[in-house]
Amino acid sequence: MSDPLERAPAGEAPRRRFELDDQGFDEVPAKYRRFYRHWQGAGDALGPNEVICPVCKIVIRSTRELRSGDRLYCMACMTRLRVREGEAGRLEADCEY
Amino acid sequence: MSEERGAEEVHDLDPRDFFERVHSFEFWFHSVEGYLSGTVYGHRPRTAERPLAADERERLVTVLCNYCVGETAALEGASGLVAIAPNRQTKVFLATQVVDEGRHLEVLLHRLAELGVADPEAEVERRASPAIREFRRHLLELVASKDWEAALFAQNVVLEAMEFTVFQSHARSADPVTAEVLQGIVKDERRHIGFGENELGRRLRESPHRRARLMEVKRDLDALVLETFEETLRDLGLPAAERPDLGRGYLAAVARLGFGR
Repeated sequence: MSDPLERAPAGEAPRRRFELDDQGFDEVPAKYRRFYRHWQGAGDALGPNEVICPVCKIVIRSTRELRSGDRLYCMACMTRLRVREGEAGRLEADCEY
Repeated sequence: MSEERGAEEVHDLDPRDFFERVHSFEFWFHSVEGYLSGTVYGHRPRTAERPLAADERERLVTVLCNYCVGETAALEGASGLVAIAPNRQTKVFLATQVVDEGRHLEVLLHRLAELGVADPEAEVERRASPAIREFRRHLLELVASKDWEAALFAQNVVLEAMEFTVFQSHARSADPVTAEVLQGIVKDERRHIGFGENELGRRLRESPHRRARLMEVKRDLDALVLETFEETLRDLGLPAAERPDLGRGYLAAVARLGFGR
């Protein structure tokens, strides 16, 4: 995987990196599990490397800080997504069929 | 980084590679292994039964009978769709869905037997609601007419969205054994709803004229679906205030596909 620091366009801050741990999401093959977790409801919060899948409501995680325009995959429901900035600046994702 | 954890950032996959992987039997097998391994008929063998009051058991048996009709419809529907699916990847995915639906029917019938129902299949015939039977009839007509988009919409968007919402809600209030059975089914349904929405999204993007036909199907099925939703949650004895917004998942899915209400 290319270094995200090299990917940051001129004028944009470099992206933070995240070490992902397995949080017990058992609905995808073991090697992909760390990229997903269940939303825990009230009291839970999304990190800067996470968005909620609009189709199946699983939290999708990345090893890098997400920004508008990034592509993500939800393997739990087989959906390709594109990140965008939603209301109040929170990152959301739209399906790309 | 260990081999087990994988060297790749999954989101860097090429879209064609992602599509190929998630539609494979290999992906399905390693997915279900994660949550079905160690279970017997959908629940852990050591999960203790909670004694049910007579009226609670009666309501649960009725609800499970209706679930069995829905799962039978999906089993028959998915197996019929394999033949008319447009490419190898969708055929393979639907083959895995056939296995999932067969498992769902089996574990629900087994749960009825665990609850003391002597002849579960006869009980399903006796108790199932007219609305879910009517939905099954509609779905199988669409499959028999080889109407790929309409049948997929009815099965993987309408029926699966309903089951996804109702099973999740029911699992939160169910006895421990029934809850485990339902939670396992919900994990399968996540793949089924995603497959339906994504496949239809691709088809509508390529052929927007198909939208009118799906609007007709939606009009035919909406009332039936919501009636089935309502009946089931009423049978579960949930007070109105505690019922989930039944149509929310379904309406959100059809809105993403470009259908207004």
